[in-house]
Amino acid sequence: MTLNKQEFLTSSGLQVQTLEVWLEQRWLIPEQASGGMNFSDMDVARARLIQDLKTDFGVNDEGVGVILHLVDQLHGLRRALGQLHKDLQATSR
Amino acid sequence: MRNPYEVLGVAPAASAGDIQKAYRKLAKESHPDLNPGDKAAEEKFKEVAGAYDLLGDAEKRKRFDSGEIDASGAERPRQQFYRDFATADHGHPYADNSGFADFMEGDDALAEILRRAQRARANRRGDDLHYRLPIDFVESITGAIKRLTLPEGGTLDVKIPPGLVDGQVLRLRGKGAPGAGKGGPGDALIEVGVLPDRRFTREGDDISLELPISLSEAVLGGRIRVPTPTGDVTMAVPKGSNTGTVMRLKGKGAPRRGGGHGDEFVKLRVVLPKSPDPELETFVANWEKGKTFNPREDRTS
Repeated sequence: MTLNKQEFLTSSGLQVQTLEVWLEQRWLIPEQASGGMNFSDMDVARARLIQDLKTDFGVNDEGVGVILHLVDQLHGLRRALGQLHKDLQATSR
Repeated sequence: MRNPYEVLGVAPAASAGDIQKAYRKLAKESHPDLNPGDKAAEEKFKEVAGAYDLLGDAEKRKRFDSGEIDASGAERPRQQFYRDFATADHGHPYADNSGFADFMEGDDALAEILRRAQRARANRRGDDLHYRLPIDFVESITGAIKRLTLPEGGTLDVKIPPGLVDGQVLRLRGKGAPGAGKGGPGDALIEVGVLPDRRFTREGDDISLELPISLSEAVLGGRIRVPTPTGDVTMAVPKGSNTGTVMRLKGKGAPRRGGGHGDEFVKLRVVLPKSPDPELETFVANWEKGKTFNPREDRTS
């Protein structure tokens, strides 16, 4: 399911200015379509993570950027590790 | 359902600040996105978040304390976390290889597997490309549109926002290297250098300028034209202005981030005519007070 910009703002409760900053920082990279932006479930979940970091954990903007970068690296590593795991299983059989 | 005070590990008499502190500590430890491989983290986090939903809200806490609602009074609906998507095999724009890119360079089996996985992710975002662009001081204040000629051919029109500072990096979305599949192109990152100006210097949002004035303008005052980044303006110099006198032109500085402008500070410098002038010499020779005035008299050495 994808949301357009307005639907995304409504469901996330974000201010439009805040969203602009997040897009500017590339914390969120929604798909660009001819009719505007499309926010995937993944974008929504990522926005919620950013909100958790900022409002509940008291992380400042610099910190959010660092954390997102590290989290994305961690997922990259997890994916690579998962692939490795699969390949190893395939060869040992 | 456990008692929310037990979940957060605080006393029933704990202050709101202590509750928030306890929640932050536990939530940071158990947030599923910060523990992507730990299945128990989600349950733990939901329990902690549920407890905080109740105790973090003074109104709900009061109702819970007085027994009006039970501990499940505010259970959060099932939530999808970022980690549920982020390790997915299909490409997404947040995918980041920088944690292991160095392992992919070798020619061993591991590098081969990693490279294969990389290629398999068809939808990869293009790389960001970095450029440098020098601009004039005045353009950094007023804003401008500059054309950047790319080393690999082609041009890029770069909009310089008013008030840009030296070294600022502008991001042009989607102007980087093309991506693969649905990944979309990367960005162009342009580091803008502001060339030094003969006249103006900048400090924060304010700019300064040293302006030569004649002896008669200094003594008698008058209206003079002063350059600003947005064009000349007329400024009144008061009688008896000295070298080092600083005048302020309000709002003629650089644009501020939150709206408005800084100021331009004009430092006056009295300049005598280049060639000696007999009339001036005669006048000063006959000027009795000028002979007794000692501008160095309050100096100790």
